[in-house]
Amino acid sequence: MGLLTNILLAPFLGPVWGTRFTLDKVDRAVREQLTDDTPIKEDLMALQLQLETGEIDDEQYVQQETEIMQRLRDVREWRERFGMSVGGGPVRVAEGDETE
Amino acid sequence: MTAESVSASELAPIEGKYVYCIIRNDRSRDFGEIGIGSGARVYTINHKELSAVVSDTPIVIYDPTRENVLAHEFVNETVMREFTLIPMSFGTVFRSENDVLALLKSTFQAFTDVLEKMQDKIEFCLKILWDRDKVVAAIERDNDEIRRLKDEITRNAASSTYFARMQLGRLVEAAMEEASNRYVNDIHEQLKSVSAASRSNKVIGDRMILNAAFLVDRKDEKSFDEKVKAISLQYEDLLSFKYTGPWPPYNFVNIKLKLEKAT
Repeated sequence: MGLLTNILLAPFLGPVWGTRFTLDKVDRAVREQLTDDTPIKEDLMALQLQLETGEIDDEQYVQQETEIMQRLRDVREWRERFGMSVGGGPVRVAEGDETE
Repeated sequence: MTAESVSASELAPIEGKYVYCIIRNDRSRDFGEIGIGSGARVYTINHKELSAVVSDTPIVIYDPTRENVLAHEFVNETVMREFTLIPMSFGTVFRSENDVLALLKSTFQAFTDVLEKMQDKIEFCLKILWDRDKVVAAIERDNDEIRRLKDEITRNAASSTYFARMQLGRLVEAAMEEASNRYVNDIHEQLKSVSAASRSNKVIGDRMILNAAFLVDRKDEKSFDEKVKAISLQYEDLLSFKYTGPWPPYNFVNIKLKLEKAT
């Protein structure tokens, strides 16, 4: 019955499966992008280098730094929303883990 | 209660401890009002012969702005004048003195071992950028095949094929990569005798060919310094050097602290 149902209802079930699969994939990609701060940190380092080499002045630096900090905060917020670990904020020694 | 972003810090009560570094020290010390967040007093929390260098802070997440990072680094620089230190990551905040004591107690042996290993060691950072045009010019001067091909293309500008141009581009690319490796290897080789260890980090942007940290014994500081100056003279026409330090051994201390979010 199971197989037959699938075949019989294929036109209806097929696209639904297909869509769900694609959405899952998109969701994962989006989630990775929203929660990865590596490219933002790289941008921050590149910005610092630009200041050091005199390509930008102090004012431009501060302006772009503000933008980067906002992006970092956004990532932090998404990570919290997805229940992922977040850098910064109060910490304590993990219980039951005596490092020797 | 969750941690607020630093912009809301005015509302958060000052109850946490910002930890800058760990040192070997068995008495109370005061390093002055130089802490993160408009000059908080920097002092020590002690456990046996270990101290955490801290300042009072609201429970906030510190953004890694230049101002905040410089404040963090300035404290470590100040402490470093007198002590060998294990730097903490930027933005490490504990809820209370007891939580900091728990860190010192639980990681006592690892901290002690690393402090011993890092005794009188300092770090220098070397970033090297190249001037693409100058390097390309040098390559065209020194590489016969490239020079010939380029001359040919220039002479027959109208008839020179797409293929010849592609070929030239590929040759130049390969020669540049080879040159970059050659410079980097040579520089590492020259600095080997005056450093205890080195670590290469990811390069930033497309002009950087080296982003490295060197662990140097304090007694070798002068020799290391002179060597870097000599190398930068040797390559002065092609490369520019960004040389900073001494830093605490940020790149050479790797203690995995088992910390969790304090709720």
